[in-house]
Amino acid sequence: VSATSYGWLVLAFPLAGCIVVSLLWDRLPGRLSGWIASGAIFGAFLSSIGMFVKIQDRPEEAKSLVDTAWTYAATADFKVGLTILVDPLSVFMCLVVSGVSFLIHVYSVAYMTGDRGSSRYFAYLNYFVLSMLLLVLAGNFVILIIGWAFVGAASYLLISFWYRRSTATYAGIKAFVINVIGDVGLVIAAFLLLDKTGSLDYAGIFGAADNVFRVDDGTLVAACLLILLGAFAKSAQLPLHTWLPDAMEGPTPVSALIHAATMVTAGVYLIARMHPLFEMAPTAADISAVIGTATLLFAATVAVVTTDLKRIIAYSTISQIGYMVLGVSIAAYGPGMFHLMTHAFFKALLFMGAGSVIGAMSGLQSIDRMGGFRRAMPFTFVTFTIGALALSGFPFTAGFFSKDEILGFAIARGGGYVVLAVIGYAAAFLTAFYAFRMVFRVFFRNPVPEARELEHGHPAHHEPQNPATGEPEDPDVGFPGPEHVIAERSWPMKAAMAPLALLALLAGVLQVPGIDEAVDKFLEPTFADSRYADVHPSTGTEWIELGIGGLLALAAIALAYFIYIQRRELRLVIRERFDAVHSFLFHKWYFDELYDLLVTRPFAAMGRFGRNVVETDFVQGTIVGGATGVVRVGSSFARAIQTGYLRGYALLLALGVAALALYFLISSS
Amino acid sequence: VTIHLSIVLFLPLAAALVGALLLPAPAMRWLVLAATVGVLAYVVVMLADFDSGSGGLQYVTDDEWISELGIRYQLGVDGLNLFLLALTAIAWVPCTLWSVFREHERPKLYFFMLALAETAVLGAFMAQDLALFVVFFDLMLVPFYFLIGGWGTGDRVRATTKFVIYTLAGSLLMLAAAVALGVLSTPEGGQISFSIAELTRRSTGTGTQEWIVLLFALAFFVKAPLFPLHGWIPETYRSTPLPVLALLSGVLSKVGVYGFLRIVLPTMPEGAQHWQELFIVVAVFSILYGSVLAFSQDNVRLVVAYSSIAQLGFITLGIFSFDDKGAQGAVIQMVNHGLVVVPLFLIIGVIAVRAKGSESLRELGGMAFRAPVLAALFLIVTLATLAMPGSPNFVGEILILFGTLEDKLVYGLVASAGVALAAVYMIRVYQRTMHNRVGPAVESRDLDRLDFVTIAPLVGVIVALGVYPQFVLHRSEDAVKDKVQVATRQSPGS
Repeated sequence: VSATSYGWLVLAFPLAGCIVVSLLWDRLPGRLSGWIASGAIFGAFLSSIGMFVKIQDRPEEAKSLVDTAWTYAATADFKVGLTILVDPLSVFMCLVVSGVSFLIHVYSVAYMTGDRGSSRYFAYLNYFVLSMLLLVLAGNFVILIIGWAFVGAASYLLISFWYRRSTATYAGIKAFVINVIGDVGLVIAAFLLLDKTGSLDYAGIFGAADNVFRVDDGTLVAACLLILLGAFAKSAQLPLHTWLPDAMEGPTPVSALIHAATMVTAGVYLIARMHPLFEMAPTAADISAVIGTATLLFAATVAVVTTDLKRIIAYSTISQIGYMVLGVSIAAYGPGMFHLMTHAFFKALLFMGAGSVIGAMSGLQSIDRMGGFRRAMPFTFVTFTIGALALSGFPFTAGFFSKDEILGFAIARGGGYVVLAVIGYAAAFLTAFYAFRMVFRVFFRNPVPEARELEHGHPAHHEPQNPATGEPEDPDVGFPGPEHVIAERSWPMKAAMAPLALLALLAGVLQVPGIDEAVDKFLEPTFADSRYADVHPSTGTEWIELGIGGLLALAAIALAYFIYIQRRELRLVIRERFDAVHSFLFHKWYFDELYDLLVTRPFAAMGRFGRNVVETDFVQGTIVGGATGVVRVGSSFARAIQTGYLRGYALLLALGVAALALYFLISSS
Repeated sequence: VTIHLSIVLFLPLAAALVGALLLPAPAMRWLVLAATVGVLAYVVVMLADFDSGSGGLQYVTDDEWISELGIRYQLGVDGLNLFLLALTAIAWVPCTLWSVFREHERPKLYFFMLALAETAVLGAFMAQDLALFVVFFDLMLVPFYFLIGGWGTGDRVRATTKFVIYTLAGSLLMLAAAVALGVLSTPEGGQISFSIAELTRRSTGTGTQEWIVLLFALAFFVKAPLFPLHGWIPETYRSTPLPVLALLSGVLSKVGVYGFLRIVLPTMPEGAQHWQELFIVVAVFSILYGSVLAFSQDNVRLVVAYSSIAQLGFITLGIFSFDDKGAQGAVIQMVNHGLVVVPLFLIIGVIAVRAKGSESLRELGGMAFRAPVLAALFLIVTLATLAMPGSPNFVGEILILFGTLEDKLVYGLVASAGVALAAVYMIRVYQRTMHNRVGPAVESRDLDRLDFVTIAPLVGVIVALGVYPQFVLHRSEDAVKDKVQVATRQSPGS
């Protein structure tokens, strides 16, 4: 079996899972649909390992394989096959995507127990993973765009999974529309590249790019910026990030899936995949790096004041993706992809922990209502804290090696990139602070009633309601099911969280500076053509940079401990003292309000104008009125002619048909 | 020369005549349905048998009809109309099936009109003689006039009147244009001819071409319709019975734009070039205007109505991009739009039944609650309508956009905004009908077996074409290229 055959298998498993669960949706008892879906993703994971093994066997310069199943669409110079590309980058992505997704599926089996729409849930979930795998395996722009849009559609379906909640369906539409804007960007970028290079295949484009484009060629920069439009829409970078916090309306495992292994990392993957173009268009790459940095700072500041547990983690995701975007934009491909992987581990873990806590709170999500869950939920506490440590970049956890390596690389690039690195370090301090703000406020201090009851073995139960608006709900299809599940009482959730906790702690060993750097080495064939292949901080410098990051993390955790545990009254004092800043951050820098003013309202006004003025006055009034007016001029005479004419006309046509039929019968005999 | 096309063409009408004269009403419906299935079977065989290597006409029928006027009974199939015939055949089966199981007043007349309409539309697509095309084009009007006037809902008199005035005006313009083209292209002492192949060989002066093209365009734009000639749309769409509306919007609207490729571009290339810029502007404006209006409608039918204006704008844009990709995209998009609009209207019918007849977005919602299968089918149709990548509509739109961007970058960029807008209005419809709280008028229940059998096969065709759009491209490429090349070729005189 060749590597590409495994590649097709990677796609075939989730496709089959999705189809089976969809068609048998009402015939699968209990958790069976969940297990079928999990099995499908496990199959994809095993196939990814198959790809990995096969590709490791191949010589260094022959690690990029292309295979076409059939011609998808070919006319004139538009020639596209259903083509996959198997190379170290796509294999790496497949491993991360399928591996983490598999654990999220297992977690979901328990989490969605009792939800009346669970078959639909797992069909969507498999479809989501299929889309993401198609995206990373695509061998040309059109298949990429298909995978890209499939991910958007799947996210729409999953975000508005509880479809009777209007907050959820609104969030779904927001995500979908912003993603479509990104899709359009990719389509136009694909056109520009086809127009200049005559190809839509990656190999064809990259091969021709050197000859067709000068460095910083206008068309190329435009194409790269359009690619960034797609990447930023999907990866929730400024200013297209607003859909992601709202996407928390979906079930918590969906948040884990969207935010950890799939979807938001697609933009990072895309920039890495397009690196030959971005390296020839340094202007676009720099814009990307600056936006990534701005995003990572922006989102970290918002995460510090947000009170919804899932939204804190959501802003954290936006911020962490900012680090990855910065990484791949400054040619730190290995560190960027490595951070993508470690982030997938600890972010999935954090969401799973949050899901468990929200289960214990019977659906409530505000950290103002939480506290003291440490004793009631020891397993969740330990794993969540491990996730928070890794997110903070606590020394020797996975995040410690990955995040600071990106910043180290920025410093090695020198010049203005050092400024970006400094901002990155500042945001890293905020990151550790908000991570432990969550830990201290949720798990420490006095237990809230829900936690105390749970310690006595009574899980909380509130009347089902929308956590955002407080509207009452029922537990039938379209709303969350009646059962709230916590990790302590459910082995599939534990089974999913435990390996992630281990990986969040230990995955750093893959990439210890000066010792192994396994990820860099594995990915090297994909990035061998990079112009910056020799830019790399020395091992000594790298350890110093890691040290700075580690110290910042420790300091921030200490500060969080001081504010949230030792001197609790400080929190309110600070908030009052800096009220303006707090409210600016709390309103997320007023992006939603800005878009409402600049986009939503003008658009709605245009619609009203069209309906009330153009349609009624112009089209119906002037044009139709004019036509009927002309008819009315002759009054009864005209009307008589008109109706008389009509009748005659119809008769004539009927006769014509009859004559035609007759003639035909005669002539053919 | 074969007789096949004539059999396909007159099968529905013959069945309807036989049924109307010899059979009781219940049996007649089944005979008409059988005829539509027969047409479909014939077309499927034709799809398989079609020689995709040739850009020329196949299954040609060519006889004299009215020799004094040079009008011939000339039918033929090439890559340009093959899939439009297929669309017609595919669309008529579910719409007839839908009608068979519902009670109608004067059922015989209803089914006769339905069958006559199919013959007329097939004829318009098959005709290779301009006069024959005009005959069938006008013949289409008659059954729809009766179907809307006789079986419509609401203010159907006003709707019918408007529909007739508009389309009649268009038909007369086209009749005038066709006659003018035939007469003015006749060389000194030569015999008048309306054969499209002959008209392509003959040439008329550039000035003459310009005004004749304009007349054709007015007729086709009304039929499509494009902004600002869409005034008949709101009333007609509100009043037309749904299966008839599905055919009107899904199939009939394509006859006009098809006419551009079949008649206008080959016979009057210079005239077409003259108006290229104007028609592109009309197309782009229709895309934006239709999208914005679709977004602000409350009646589900009208959302689809205005979205059709936008979609027909895309198709027109592709044709007048004068680019192989653009025109190819237009052809596949004609088919795709029909394939999504027919199930859309049938689904609207299914929805209305579950909402005490309401089609207002304000009163709908939460339909998915007890109707997961309906929601799933509607979802696929919705995503295809908004041209999500992976759907056949995406292939159509991307080709149209690529074709336009090549020479008309700015128009292409503006048009691409229409792609994003489509996502907004279609997903809004899906949300407001299937999702959110269960609406006040809504009683959710799933598709019954009959509705499923009517709608699901159409969804199956959409999915199949999404997986393998090359099936269409491969068979239509040569013919389309041929038309575009004629249009862009400089005339020998200039």
